[in-house]
Amino acid sequence: MIDIMNATKYFRVGFFGTKKTAVENLSLNIEEGKVTGFFGPNGAGKSTTIKMVVGLINPSGGNIKIKGYPASDCRSRLKLGYLPENPSFPRGLKGIEIINYYSKLLDKKINKDEIYDALKLAGIFYAKNIHAHKYSKGMTQRLALAVSILGDPEILIFDEPLSGLDPVGRKEFKDIIFKLKKRKKTIFFSSHVLADSKELCDRIAVLVNGRLIKSEDLEDIEKEAASYAEEKKDNLLTGEYSTPLEVYLYDLMLKSRKN
Amino acid sequence: MKKILYGTMYSFKEIKNLKIFYSFLMFALILISGSYFVSQTSFISQGRIMVDFSIFAISIFNIFIGIFIGASVVYDDIEKKSVFLTITRPIKRTEYLAGRFLGLAAAIIFSTIIMMLIFYFVLLIMHKFIVPAGYFAGNVKAKAGIVSHIKNKRVKSAPAEKNSGKNITGKLSIVKPAAKPFTFYSLPQPLIIQALFIIIESIFISAAALLFSLITSKALASIFAILVFFIGSVSSRMNDLVKPVKKIINGKVVIMHQANHALMSIVHFIYTVLPNFSIFNISSEAAYKVNVSAGIIFYRIVYGICYTALLFIISSLIFARKDIS
Ligand SMILES: Nc1ncnc2c1ncn2[C@@H]1O[C@H](COP(=O)(O)OP(=O)(O)OP(=O)(O)O)[C@@H](O)[C@H]1O
Ligand SMILES: [Mg+2]
Repeated sequence: MIDIMNATKYFRVGFFGTKKTAVENLSLNIEEGKVTGFFGPNGAGKSTTIKMVVGLINPSGGNIKIKGYPASDCRSRLKLGYLPENPSFPRGLKGIEIINYYSKLLDKKINKDEIYDALKLAGIFYAKNIHAHKYSKGMTQRLALAVSILGDPEILIFDEPLSGLDPVGRKEFKDIIFKLKKRKKTIFFSSHVLADSKELCDRIAVLVNGRLIKSEDLEDIEKEAASYAEEKKDNLLTGEYSTPLEVYLYDLMLKSRKN
Repeated sequence: MKKILYGTMYSFKEIKNLKIFYSFLMFALILISGSYFVSQTSFISQGRIMVDFSIFAISIFNIFIGIFIGASVVYDDIEKKSVFLTITRPIKRTEYLAGRFLGLAAAIIFSTIIMMLIFYFVLLIMHKFIVPAGYFAGNVKAKAGIVSHIKNKRVKSAPAEKNSGKNITGKLSIVKPAAKPFTFYSLPQPLIIQALFIIIESIFISAAALLFSLITSKALASIFAILVFFIGSVSSRMNDLVKPVKKIINGKVVIMHQANHALMSIVHFIYTVLPNFSIFNISSEAAYKVNVSAGIIFYRIVYGICYTALLFIISSLIFARKDIS
Protein backbone atom coordinates (compact mmCIF):
# COMPACT_ATOMS: atom_id res chain seq x y z
CA MET A 1 0.00 0.00 0.00
CA ILE A 2 2.55 2.54 1.13
CA ASP A 3 6.16 1.89 0.21
CA ILE A 4 8.81 4.00 1.83
CA MET A 5 12.16 3.25 0.21
CA ASN A 6 15.38 4.61 1.70
CA ALA A 7 13.72 7.86 2.60
CA THR A 8 16.10 10.45 3.99
CA LYS A 9 15.32 13.94 5.13
CA TYR A 10 17.62 16.59 6.39
CA PHE A 11 16.69 20.14 7.22
CA ARG A 12 18.89 23.14 6.73
CA VAL A 13 19.00 25.00 10.00
CA GLY A 14 20.52 28.21 11.16
CA PHE A 15 22.06 31.04 9.28
CA PHE A 16 24.67 28.95 7.51
CA GLY A 17 22.24 26.20 6.55
CA THR A 18 23.98 23.38 8.33
CA LYS A 19 22.44 20.00 7.68
CA LYS A 20 20.39 18.39 10.37
CA THR A 21 19.24 14.90 9.70
CA ALA A 22 15.71 14.14 10.82
CA VAL A 23 15.13 10.80 9.08
CA GLU A 24 17.85 8.59 7.73
CA ASN A 25 17.54 5.83 5.20
CA LEU A 26 14.16 4.66 6.32
CA SER A 27 12.51 1.77 4.51
CA LEU A 28 9.09 0.68 5.60
CA ASN A 29 6.24 -1.08 3.95
CA ILE A 30 2.77 -0.41 5.26
CA GLU A 31 0.50 -3.26 4.39
CA GLU A 32 -3.04 -3.05 3.27
CA GLY A 33 -5.78 -3.57 5.82
CA LYS A 34 -3.46 -3.50 8.80
CA VAL A 35 -2.90 -1.09 11.62
CA THR A 36 0.71 -0.05 11.89
CA GLY A 37 1.86 1.75 14.99
CA PHE A 38 4.80 4.07 14.67
CA PHE A 39 6.62 4.66 17.90
CA GLY A 40 9.54 6.68 19.02
CA PRO A 41 10.61 9.30 21.52
CA ASN A 42 10.20 13.04 20.98
CA GLY A 43 12.14 14.30 18.02
CA ALA A 44 12.66 10.84 16.55
CA GLY A 45 11.34 11.92 13.19
CA LYS A 46 7.88 10.38 13.26
CA SER A 47 6.06 13.49 12.14
CA THR A 48 8.70 14.15 9.51
CA THR A 49 8.20 10.67 8.08
CA ILE A 50 4.45 11.07 8.06
CA LYS A 51 4.70 14.46 6.38
CA MET A 52 6.86 12.94 3.70
CA VAL A 53 4.24 10.25 3.15
CA VAL A 54 1.40 12.73 2.77
CA GLY A 55 3.46 14.96 0.51
CA LEU A 56 3.96 17.98 2.75
CA ILE A 57 7.72 17.55 2.77
CA ASN A 58 9.85 16.46 -0.13
CA PRO A 59 12.33 13.76 0.88
CA SER A 60 15.99 14.67 0.40
CA GLY A 61 16.68 11.16 -0.79
CA GLY A 62 14.89 7.93 -1.55
CA ASN A 63 11.28 7.75 -2.62
CA ILE A 64 7.83 7.08 -1.30
CA LYS A 65 4.99 5.53 -3.20
CA ILE A 66 1.34 5.24 -2.28
CA LYS A 67 -0.59 2.77 -4.40
CA GLY A 68 2.02 3.20 -7.10
CA TYR A 69 1.92 6.99 -7.21
CA PRO A 70 4.79 9.05 -5.84
CA ALA A 71 3.85 11.02 -2.74
CA SER A 72 4.38 14.34 -4.50
CA ASP A 73 1.63 13.49 -6.98
CA CYS A 74 -1.77 14.57 -5.74
CA ARG A 75 -3.35 11.40 -7.16
CA SER A 76 -1.58 9.45 -4.43
CA ARG A 77 -3.92 11.17 -1.98
CA LEU A 78 -7.17 10.27 -3.69
CA LYS A 79 -8.07 7.81 -0.96
CA LEU A 80 -6.04 9.09 1.91
CA GLY A 81 -7.08 10.78 5.10
CA TYR A 82 -4.54 12.58 7.25
CA LEU A 83 -4.87 13.83 10.79
CA PRO A 84 -1.99 16.20 11.59
CA GLU A 85 -0.58 16.61 15.07
CA ASN A 86 -2.09 19.68 16.73
CA PRO A 87 -4.51 20.47 13.92
CA SER A 88 -6.02 23.93 13.68
CA PHE A 89 -8.57 25.80 11.63
CA PRO A 90 -8.99 29.39 10.49
CA ARG A 91 -10.81 31.82 12.71
CA GLY A 92 -14.38 32.85 12.28
CA LEU A 93 -15.75 29.80 10.51
CA LYS A 94 -18.19 27.29 11.88
CA GLY A 95 -17.36 23.61 12.12
CA ILE A 96 -19.92 22.72 9.52
CA GLU A 97 -18.60 25.35 7.09
CA ILE A 98 -15.10 24.01 7.46
CA ILE A 99 -16.04 20.40 6.86
CA ASN A 100 -18.22 21.43 3.94
CA TYR A 101 -15.25 23.09 2.34
CA TYR A 102 -13.03 20.07 2.81
CA SER A 103 -15.69 17.82 1.37
CA LYS A 104 -15.57 19.90 -1.81
CA LEU A 105 -11.87 19.25 -2.25
CA LEU A 106 -12.36 15.51 -2.67
CA ASP A 107 -12.72 14.08 -6.11
CA LYS A 108 -16.03 12.43 -5.44
CA LYS A 109 -19.25 13.98 -4.40
CA ILE A 110 -19.97 13.95 -0.69
CA ASN A 111 -23.55 14.47 0.37
CA LYS A 112 -24.83 15.92 3.58
CA ASP A 113 -25.50 12.58 5.22
CA GLU A 114 -21.91 11.50 4.73
CA ILE A 115 -20.69 14.70 6.32
CA TYR A 116 -23.04 14.18 9.25
CA ASP A 117 -21.91 10.58 9.58
CA ALA A 118 -18.28 11.64 9.72
CA LEU A 119 -19.11 14.29 12.32
CA LYS A 120 -21.05 11.79 14.37
CA LEU A 121 -18.36 9.16 14.18
CA ALA A 122 -15.80 11.69 15.37
CA GLY A 123 -18.20 12.81 18.10
CA ILE A 124 -18.32 16.50 17.20
CA PHE A 125 -21.76 16.60 15.62
CA TYR A 126 -23.24 18.49 18.55
CA ALA A 127 -20.84 21.40 18.05
CA LYS A 128 -21.12 21.75 14.31
CA ASN A 129 -22.61 25.23 14.50
CA ILE A 130 -19.99 26.64 16.83
CA HIS A 131 -17.06 28.64 15.49
CA ALA A 132 -14.05 26.42 15.24
CA HIS A 133 -11.71 28.81 17.01
CA LYS A 134 -13.85 28.45 20.09
CA TYR A 135 -13.30 24.70 20.16
CA SER A 136 -11.21 23.07 22.85
CA LYS A 137 -8.18 21.08 21.78
CA GLY A 138 -10.06 17.82 21.94
CA MET A 139 -12.92 19.23 19.89
CA THR A 140 -10.51 20.57 17.27
CA GLN A 141 -8.86 17.15 17.14
CA ARG A 142 -12.26 15.60 16.59
CA LEU A 143 -13.18 17.98 13.81
CA ALA A 144 -9.86 17.25 12.11
CA LEU A 145 -10.58 13.55 12.49
CA ALA A 146 -13.98 14.06 10.90
CA VAL A 147 -12.32 15.89 8.03
CA SER A 148 -9.77 13.13 7.56
CA ILE A 149 -12.34 10.33 7.45
CA LEU A 150 -14.58 12.16 5.00
CA GLY A 151 -15.27 10.27 1.83
CA ASP A 152 -14.40 6.94 3.41
CA PRO A 153 -10.69 6.81 2.46
CA GLU A 154 -8.85 3.49 2.39
CA ILE A 155 -5.69 4.78 3.97
CA LEU A 156 -5.73 6.70 7.21
CA ILE A 157 -2.66 8.39 8.59
CA PHE A 158 -2.89 9.77 12.10
CA ASP A 159 -0.11 11.76 13.68
CA GLU A 160 -0.40 11.37 17.44
CA PRO A 161 -4.16 10.99 17.45
CA LEU A 162 -4.29 10.52 21.19
CA SER A 163 -2.10 13.35 22.38
CA GLY A 164 -3.76 16.04 24.41
CA LEU A 165 -6.94 14.12 25.02
CA ASP A 166 -8.46 13.33 28.38
CA PRO A 167 -8.88 9.66 29.42
CA VAL A 168 -12.43 9.56 28.11
CA GLY A 169 -11.38 11.12 24.85
CA ARG A 170 -8.51 8.68 24.48
CA LYS A 171 -10.84 5.79 24.99
CA GLU A 172 -13.26 7.17 22.41
CA PHE A 173 -10.55 7.83 19.90
CA LYS A 174 -9.26 4.32 20.34
CA ASP A 175 -12.76 3.00 19.80
CA ILE A 176 -12.97 4.98 16.59
CA ILE A 177 -9.70 3.51 15.40
CA PHE A 178 -11.01 0.07 16.29
CA LYS A 179 -14.13 0.74 14.27
CA LEU A 180 -12.06 1.82 11.31
CA LYS A 181 -9.86 -1.22 11.74
CA LYS A 182 -12.90 -3.44 11.52
CA ARG A 183 -13.78 -1.78 8.24
CA LYS A 184 -10.44 -3.06 6.92
CA LYS A 185 -8.81 0.31 6.55
CA THR A 186 -5.08 0.68 6.28
CA ILE A 187 -4.11 2.72 9.29
CA PHE A 188 -0.74 4.21 10.08
CA PHE A 189 -0.52 6.14 13.30
CA SER A 190 2.26 7.56 15.38
CA SER A 191 2.50 7.80 19.10
CA HIS A 192 5.05 7.91 21.86
CA VAL A 193 2.80 6.23 24.35
CA LEU A 194 3.79 2.60 24.31
CA ALA A 195 0.63 1.53 26.05
CA ASP A 196 -1.36 2.35 22.95
CA SER A 197 0.53 -0.16 20.95
CA LYS A 198 -0.81 -3.44 22.06
CA GLU A 199 -4.52 -2.92 21.76
CA LEU A 200 -4.55 -1.28 18.37
CA CYS A 201 -1.68 -2.48 16.29
CA ASP A 202 -1.09 -5.37 13.97
CA ARG A 203 2.40 -4.20 13.27
CA ILE A 204 4.85 -2.08 15.17
CA ALA A 205 7.60 0.14 13.85
CA VAL A 206 10.02 1.85 16.18
CA LEU A 207 12.00 4.91 15.20
CA VAL A 208 14.80 6.42 17.23
CA ASN A 209 16.96 9.33 16.13
CA GLY A 210 15.67 9.11 12.60
CA ARG A 211 16.54 5.43 12.22
CA LEU A 212 14.11 2.56 12.09
CA ILE A 213 15.18 0.04 14.68
CA LYS A 214 12.25 -2.35 14.56
CA SER A 215 9.44 -3.15 12.20
CA GLU A 216 7.63 -6.35 13.01
CA ASP A 217 4.30 -7.98 13.60
CA LEU A 218 2.91 -7.54 17.08
CA GLU A 219 3.14 -11.27 17.87
CA ASP A 220 6.78 -11.52 16.90
CA ILE A 221 7.71 -8.52 18.90
CA GLU A 222 5.79 -9.82 21.89
CA LYS A 223 7.71 -13.09 21.72
CA GLU A 224 10.96 -11.19 21.67
CA ALA A 225 9.78 -9.17 24.61
CA ALA A 226 8.89 -12.28 26.57
CA SER A 227 12.29 -13.83 26.07
CA TYR A 228 13.93 -10.55 26.91
CA ALA A 229 11.92 -10.41 30.10
CA GLU A 230 13.12 -13.86 31.12
CA GLU A 231 16.71 -12.79 30.57
CA LYS A 232 16.60 -9.85 32.93
CA LYS A 233 14.09 -10.89 35.52
CA ASP A 234 15.30 -8.74 38.36
CA ASN A 235 14.69 -5.15 37.38
CA LEU A 236 11.60 -5.70 35.33
CA LEU A 237 8.47 -3.64 35.80
CA THR A 238 10.28 -0.51 36.81
CA GLY A 239 8.50 2.78 37.07
CA GLU A 240 5.92 3.48 34.45
CA TYR A 241 6.09 0.35 32.43
CA SER A 242 4.11 -2.62 33.46
CA THR A 243 4.16 -5.09 30.57
CA PRO A 244 7.13 -6.95 29.09
CA LEU A 245 6.46 -5.37 25.70
CA GLU A 246 6.70 -1.86 27.04
CA VAL A 247 9.86 -2.56 28.96
CA TYR A 248 11.39 -4.22 25.91
CA LEU A 249 10.61 -1.30 23.62
CA TYR A 250 11.71 1.21 26.20
CA ASP A 251 15.04 -0.53 26.67
CA LEU A 252 15.45 -0.77 22.90
CA MET A 253 14.94 2.96 22.54
CA LEU A 254 17.36 3.71 25.35
CA LYS A 255 20.02 1.51 23.81
CA SER A 256 19.77 2.97 20.33
CA ARG A 257 19.79 6.43 21.70
CA LYS A 258 23.15 5.84 23.37
CA ASN A 259 24.69 4.56 20.16
CA MET B 1 -11.22 24.36 -11.57
CA LYS B 2 -14.08 23.67 -9.21
CA LYS B 3 -11.64 23.22 -6.38
CA ILE B 4 -10.11 26.62 -7.07
CA LEU B 5 -13.56 28.16 -6.91
CA TYR B 6 -14.33 26.56 -3.56
CA GLY B 7 -10.92 27.58 -2.31
CA THR B 8 -11.64 31.13 -3.39
CA MET B 9 -14.94 31.21 -1.59
CA TYR B 10 -13.42 29.72 1.54
CA SER B 11 -10.52 32.10 1.68
CA PHE B 12 -12.80 35.06 0.95
CA LYS B 13 -14.98 34.07 3.88
CA GLU B 14 -11.90 33.70 6.02
CA ILE B 15 -10.48 37.09 5.05
CA LYS B 16 -13.82 38.75 5.62
CA ASN B 17 -13.60 37.59 9.22
CA LEU B 18 -10.13 38.98 9.76
CA LYS B 19 -9.83 41.86 12.18
CA ILE B 20 -7.27 43.62 10.04
CA PHE B 21 -9.62 43.63 7.08
CA TYR B 22 -12.42 45.12 9.11
CA SER B 23 -10.26 47.76 10.65
CA PHE B 24 -8.86 48.90 7.31
CA LEU B 25 -12.33 49.00 5.88
CA MET B 26 -13.68 50.99 8.81
CA PHE B 27 -10.75 53.38 8.71
CA ALA B 28 -11.25 54.08 5.04
CA LEU B 29 -14.96 54.65 5.53
CA ILE B 30 -14.29 57.11 8.33
CA LEU B 31 -11.80 58.98 6.16
CA ILE B 32 -14.18 59.11 3.24
CA SER B 33 -16.92 60.53 5.39
CA GLY B 34 -14.42 62.88 6.93
CA SER B 35 -13.42 64.17 3.54
CA TYR B 36 -16.44 66.42 3.84
CA PHE B 37 -14.83 68.29 6.71
CA VAL B 38 -11.53 68.51 4.92
CA SER B 39 -13.27 70.01 1.95
CA GLN B 40 -14.77 72.68 4.16
CA THR B 41 -11.38 74.22 4.67
CA SER B 42 -11.42 75.40 1.08
CA PHE B 43 -13.66 77.97 -0.53
CA ILE B 44 -13.41 76.74 -4.07
CA SER B 45 -13.81 73.34 -5.64
CA GLN B 46 -14.69 71.48 -2.51
CA GLY B 47 -15.77 68.57 -4.62
CA ARG B 48 -12.33 68.23 -6.09
CA ILE B 49 -10.71 68.16 -2.69
CA MET B 50 -13.15 65.58 -1.49
CA VAL B 51 -12.41 63.41 -4.50
CA ASP B 52 -8.67 63.75 -4.09
CA PHE B 53 -8.81 62.96 -0.43
CA SER B 54 -11.20 60.05 -0.71
CA ILE B 55 -9.45 58.45 -3.65
CA PHE B 56 -6.24 58.67 -1.70
CA ALA B 57 -7.89 56.99 1.30
CA ILE B 58 -9.48 54.29 -0.81
CA SER B 59 -6.31 53.46 -2.68
CA ILE B 60 -4.01 53.50 0.30
CA PHE B 61 -6.25 51.28 2.39
CA ASN B 62 -6.80 48.82 -0.40
CA ILE B 63 -3.08 48.67 -0.94
CA PHE B 64 -2.63 48.05 2.77
CA ILE B 65 -5.18 45.28 2.61
CA GLY B 66 -3.36 43.85 -0.38
CA ILE B 67 0.03 43.99 1.28
CA PHE B 68 -0.80 42.86 4.78
CA ILE B 69 -3.32 40.21 3.94
CA GLY B 70 -1.31 39.15 0.91
CA ALA B 71 1.67 38.58 3.15
CA SER B 72 -0.37 36.55 5.61
CA VAL B 73 -2.94 34.71 3.56
CA VAL B 74 -0.68 31.75 2.91
CA TYR B 75 1.94 32.44 5.54
CA ASP B 76 -0.51 32.27 8.43
CA ASP B 77 -2.13 29.21 6.96
CA ILE B 78 1.24 27.46 7.07
CA GLU B 79 2.13 28.89 10.45
CA LYS B 80 -1.14 27.84 12.03
CA LYS B 81 -0.91 24.49 10.28
CA SER B 82 -4.40 24.74 8.87
CA VAL B 83 -2.82 24.24 5.46
CA PHE B 84 -1.95 20.66 6.38
CA LEU B 85 -5.48 19.42 6.02
CA THR B 86 -6.00 21.26 2.75
CA ILE B 87 -3.03 20.26 0.66
CA THR B 88 -3.11 16.66 1.79
CA ARG B 89 -6.39 16.33 -0.04
CA PRO B 90 -6.22 15.33 -3.70
CA ILE B 91 -5.55 18.88 -4.76
CA LYS B 92 -2.56 20.41 -6.51
CA ARG B 93 -0.62 22.99 -4.60
CA THR B 94 -1.12 25.47 -7.39
CA GLU B 95 -4.87 25.03 -7.10
CA TYR B 96 -4.67 25.75 -3.40
CA LEU B 97 -2.53 28.81 -4.00
CA ALA B 98 -4.84 30.06 -6.73
CA GLY B 99 -7.81 29.66 -4.39
CA ARG B 100 -6.13 31.65 -1.65
CA PHE B 101 -5.01 34.37 -4.01
CA LEU B 102 -8.33 34.72 -5.78
CA GLY B 103 -10.06 34.86 -2.41
CA LEU B 104 -7.85 37.77 -1.50
CA ALA B 105 -8.57 39.39 -4.86
CA ALA B 106 -12.28 38.97 -4.18
CA ALA B 107 -11.83 40.61 -0.79
CA ILE B 108 -10.05 43.55 -2.39
CA ILE B 109 -12.79 43.94 -4.98
CA PHE B 110 -15.38 43.70 -2.24
CA SER B 111 -13.74 46.35 -0.08
CA THR B 112 -13.19 48.70 -3.01
CA ILE B 113 -16.80 48.41 -4.03
CA ILE B 114 -17.98 49.11 -0.50
CA MET B 115 -15.69 52.11 -0.18
CA MET B 116 -16.74 53.44 -3.56
CA LEU B 117 -20.39 53.04 -2.64
CA ILE B 118 -19.92 54.99 0.57
CA PHE B 119 -17.99 57.60 -1.36
CA TYR B 120 -20.76 57.73 -3.88
CA PHE B 121 -23.36 58.26 -1.20
CA VAL B 122 -21.33 60.99 0.42
CA LEU B 123 -21.09 62.76 -2.94
CA LEU B 124 -24.76 62.17 -3.52
CA ILE B 125 -25.69 63.75 -0.23
CA MET B 126 -23.36 66.64 -0.87
CA HIS B 127 -24.64 66.83 -4.39
CA LYS B 128 -21.17 67.34 -5.72
CA PHE B 129 -19.23 65.79 -8.49
CA ILE B 130 -21.87 63.36 -9.61
CA VAL B 131 -23.28 63.27 -13.08
CA PRO B 132 -26.81 62.36 -14.01
CA ALA B 133 -26.91 58.97 -15.60
CA GLY B 134 -29.43 57.81 -18.12
CA TYR B 135 -28.31 60.56 -20.43
CA PHE B 136 -28.95 58.40 -23.44
CA ALA B 137 -32.16 57.13 -22.02
CA GLY B 138 -35.63 58.02 -23.16
CA ASN B 139 -37.04 60.92 -21.29
CA VAL B 140 -34.23 63.37 -21.64
CA LYS B 141 -36.64 66.21 -21.58
CA ALA B 142 -37.64 65.70 -18.04
CA LYS B 143 -34.07 65.61 -16.92
CA ALA B 144 -32.73 68.28 -19.17
CA GLY B 145 -33.66 70.96 -16.73
CA ILE B 146 -31.82 69.36 -13.89
CA VAL B 147 -28.81 68.65 -16.02
CA SER B 148 -28.46 72.20 -17.13
CA HIS B 149 -29.04 73.33 -13.60
CA ILE B 150 -26.19 71.26 -12.34
CA LYS B 151 -24.04 72.31 -15.22
CA ASN B 152 -24.60 75.92 -14.42
CA LYS B 153 -23.80 75.33 -10.84
CA ARG B 154 -20.62 73.63 -11.70
CA VAL B 155 -19.54 76.14 -14.27
CA LYS B 156 -19.91 78.72 -11.62
CA SER B 157 -17.77 76.93 -9.10
CA ALA B 158 -15.17 75.49 -11.40
CA PRO B 159 -14.96 76.89 -14.86
CA ALA B 160 -12.48 74.26 -15.97
CA GLU B 161 -15.01 71.50 -15.92
CA LYS B 162 -16.94 72.22 -19.03
CA ASN B 163 -17.89 68.97 -20.57
CA SER B 164 -18.57 67.20 -17.33
CA GLY B 165 -22.11 66.37 -18.23
CA LYS B 166 -20.94 63.98 -20.89
CA ASN B 167 -19.19 61.60 -18.58
CA ILE B 168 -21.66 58.83 -18.57
CA THR B 169 -20.84 55.34 -17.53
CA GLY B 170 -22.53 52.34 -18.90
CA LYS B 171 -22.35 50.48 -15.65
CA LEU B 172 -24.59 52.49 -13.45
CA SER B 173 -26.93 53.80 -16.05
CA ILE B 174 -28.96 50.65 -16.42
CA VAL B 175 -31.97 52.30 -14.96
CA LYS B 176 -35.33 52.09 -16.56
CA PRO B 177 -35.87 55.59 -17.85
CA ALA B 178 -39.61 55.61 -17.83
CA ALA B 179 -41.62 56.49 -14.77
CA LYS B 180 -38.72 57.50 -12.59
CA PRO B 181 -39.62 60.35 -10.34
CA PHE B 182 -35.99 61.16 -9.56
CA THR B 183 -32.83 61.50 -11.57
CA PHE B 184 -30.24 58.82 -11.27
CA TYR B 185 -26.78 60.12 -10.65
CA SER B 186 -23.57 58.26 -11.20
CA LEU B 187 -19.92 58.89 -10.64
CA PRO B 188 -18.00 60.38 -13.54
CA GLN B 189 -16.12 57.98 -15.76
CA PRO B 190 -12.55 58.69 -14.55
CA LEU B 191 -13.61 57.99 -10.97
CA ILE B 192 -14.95 54.60 -11.89
CA ILE B 193 -11.82 53.84 -13.89
CA GLN B 194 -9.79 54.96 -10.91
CA ALA B 195 -11.65 52.46 -8.75
CA LEU B 196 -10.89 49.74 -11.28
CA PHE B 197 -7.24 50.74 -11.29
CA ILE B 198 -7.15 50.67 -7.50
CA ILE B 199 -8.45 47.12 -7.58
CA ILE B 200 -5.85 46.05 -10.11
CA GLU B 201 -3.05 47.83 -8.32
CA SER B 202 -3.95 46.32 -4.96
CA ILE B 203 -4.21 42.82 -6.36
CA PHE B 204 -0.90 43.39 -8.09
CA ILE B 205 0.90 44.43 -4.92
CA SER B 206 -0.76 41.62 -2.98
CA ALA B 207 0.73 39.13 -5.47
CA ALA B 208 4.13 40.60 -4.71
CA ALA B 209 3.50 40.37 -0.96
CA LEU B 210 2.37 36.76 -1.36
CA LEU B 211 5.52 35.92 -3.29
CA PHE B 212 7.72 37.51 -0.64
CA SER B 213 5.86 35.78 2.16
CA LEU B 214 6.78 32.42 0.65
CA ILE B 215 10.48 33.11 0.94
CA THR B 216 10.77 35.28 4.02
CA SER B 217 8.78 36.02 7.12
CA LYS B 218 5.50 37.85 7.20
CA ALA B 219 6.90 41.11 8.53
CA LEU B 220 9.75 41.18 6.05
CA ALA B 221 7.40 40.34 3.22
CA SER B 222 5.17 43.28 4.12
CA ILE B 223 8.14 45.60 4.31
CA PHE B 224 9.47 44.42 0.96
CA ALA B 225 6.09 44.82 -0.64
CA ILE B 226 5.77 48.35 0.73
CA LEU B 227 9.23 49.14 -0.60
CA VAL B 228 8.40 47.73 -4.00
CA PHE B 229 5.23 49.75 -4.05
CA PHE B 230 6.96 52.92 -3.00
CA ILE B 231 9.81 52.58 -5.47
CA GLY B 232 7.36 51.48 -8.14
CA SER B 233 5.34 54.64 -7.57
CA VAL B 234 8.25 56.99 -7.89
CA SER B 235 10.45 55.12 -10.34
CA SER B 236 9.07 56.89 -13.37
CA ARG B 237 9.71 60.25 -11.79
CA MET B 238 13.20 59.18 -10.77
CA ASN B 239 13.81 58.11 -14.32
CA ASP B 240 12.88 61.56 -15.46
CA LEU B 241 15.24 63.07 -12.93
CA VAL B 242 18.32 61.35 -14.21
CA LYS B 243 17.53 62.02 -17.83
CA PRO B 244 20.10 64.29 -19.37
CA VAL B 245 18.97 67.88 -19.56
CA LYS B 246 18.96 68.97 -23.16
CA LYS B 247 18.61 72.32 -24.75
CA ILE B 248 18.39 73.35 -28.33
CA ILE B 249 20.85 76.07 -29.11
CA ASN B 250 21.17 77.27 -32.66
CA GLY B 251 19.28 74.26 -33.95
CA LYS B 252 21.62 71.76 -32.24
CA VAL B 253 20.80 69.60 -29.29
CA VAL B 254 23.20 70.35 -26.53
CA ILE B 255 23.35 68.30 -23.38
CA MET B 256 23.48 70.74 -20.54
CA HIS B 257 23.79 68.38 -17.68
CA GLN B 258 24.16 64.65 -17.37
CA ALA B 259 23.78 62.60 -14.21
CA ASN B 260 26.40 60.17 -13.03
CA HIS B 261 26.47 57.21 -15.38
CA ALA B 262 26.33 54.53 -12.70
CA LEU B 263 23.43 56.25 -10.99
CA MET B 264 21.64 56.52 -14.28
CA SER B 265 21.96 52.84 -15.04
CA ILE B 266 20.81 51.89 -11.54
CA VAL B 267 17.72 54.04 -11.85
CA HIS B 268 17.12 52.71 -15.32
CA PHE B 269 17.40 49.16 -14.08
CA ILE B 270 14.96 49.81 -11.24
CA TYR B 271 12.61 51.48 -13.64
CA THR B 272 12.57 48.57 -16.05
CA VAL B 273 12.52 45.73 -13.52
CA LEU B 274 10.19 47.03 -10.87
CA PRO B 275 6.54 47.45 -11.72
CA ASN B 276 5.36 50.94 -12.47
CA PHE B 277 2.57 51.79 -10.11
CA SER B 278 2.20 55.42 -11.02
CA ILE B 279 0.21 54.52 -14.13
CA PHE B 280 -2.63 53.37 -11.90
CA ASN B 281 -2.91 56.73 -10.27
CA ILE B 282 -5.25 58.92 -12.29
CA SER B 283 -6.43 61.10 -9.45
CA SER B 284 -5.80 64.32 -11.39
CA GLU B 285 -7.97 63.07 -14.23
CA ALA B 286 -10.54 62.08 -11.65
CA ALA B 287 -10.43 65.42 -9.90
CA TYR B 288 -10.89 67.30 -13.14
CA LYS B 289 -13.28 64.82 -14.66
CA VAL B 290 -11.18 64.26 -17.74
CA ASN B 291 -12.29 61.13 -19.45
CA VAL B 292 -9.70 58.40 -19.77
CA SER B 293 -9.43 56.90 -23.21
CA ALA B 294 -10.22 53.26 -23.76
CA GLY B 295 -6.75 52.54 -25.11
CA ILE B 296 -5.05 53.71 -21.96
CA ILE B 297 -7.48 51.79 -19.79
CA PHE B 298 -6.94 48.63 -21.79
CA TYR B 299 -3.17 48.91 -21.87
CA ARG B 300 -2.87 49.54 -18.14
CA ILE B 301 -5.23 46.75 -17.19
CA VAL B 302 -3.36 44.30 -19.38
CA TYR B 303 -0.08 45.48 -17.91
CA GLY B 304 -1.35 44.94 -14.37
CA ILE B 305 -2.85 41.56 -15.07
CA CYS B 306 0.18 40.24 -16.92
CA TYR B 307 2.54 41.32 -14.20
CA THR B 308 0.28 39.83 -11.53
CA ALA B 309 0.08 36.57 -13.43
CA LEU B 310 3.85 36.47 -13.72
CA LEU B 311 4.23 37.00 -9.97
CA PHE B 312 1.66 34.31 -9.31
CA ILE B 313 3.45 31.82 -11.55
CA ILE B 314 6.72 32.44 -9.74
CA SER B 315 4.92 32.02 -6.40
CA SER B 316 3.38 28.75 -7.42
CA LEU B 317 6.72 27.41 -8.65
CA ILE B 318 8.25 28.26 -5.28
CA PHE B 319 5.30 26.91 -3.36
CA ALA B 320 5.28 23.63 -5.28
CA ARG B 321 8.63 22.60 -3.91
CA LYS B 322 8.40 24.22 -0.51
CA ASP B 323 8.63 22.03 2.57
CA ILE B 324 5.61 22.68 4.69
CA SER B 325 6.25 21.79 8.29
N1 LIG C 1 11.05 22.41 9.74
C1 LIG C 1 12.07 21.91 10.41
N2 LIG C 1 13.26 22.53 10.38
C2 LIG C 1 14.31 22.05 11.04
N3 LIG C 1 14.29 20.93 11.78
C3 LIG C 1 13.15 20.25 11.86
C4 LIG C 1 11.98 20.69 11.17
N4 LIG C 1 10.97 19.82 11.43
C5 LIG C 1 11.50 18.88 12.22
N5 LIG C 1 12.80 19.11 12.49
C6 LIG C 1 13.70 18.28 13.29
O1 LIG C 1 13.54 16.95 12.90
C7 LIG C 1 13.56 16.09 14.01
C8 LIG C 1 12.34 15.20 14.00
O2 LIG C 1 11.18 15.96 14.26
P1 LIG C 1 9.73 15.32 14.28
O3 LIG C 1 8.76 16.41 14.40
O4 LIG C 1 9.61 14.44 13.11
O5 LIG C 1 9.77 14.46 15.61
P2 LIG C 1 8.62 13.55 16.21
O6 LIG C 1 9.11 12.18 16.19
O7 LIG C 1 7.34 13.81 15.53
O8 LIG C 1 8.57 14.08 17.69
P3 LIG C 1 7.29 14.30 18.64
O9 LIG C 1 7.04 13.01 19.30
O10 LIG C 1 7.78 15.31 19.61
O11 LIG C 1 6.18 14.77 17.81
C9 LIG C 1 13.63 16.97 15.23
O12 LIG C 1 14.95 16.91 15.73
C10 LIG C 1 13.33 18.34 14.74
O13 LIG C 1 14.11 19.28 15.41
MG1 LIG D 1 5.51 14.58 16.02
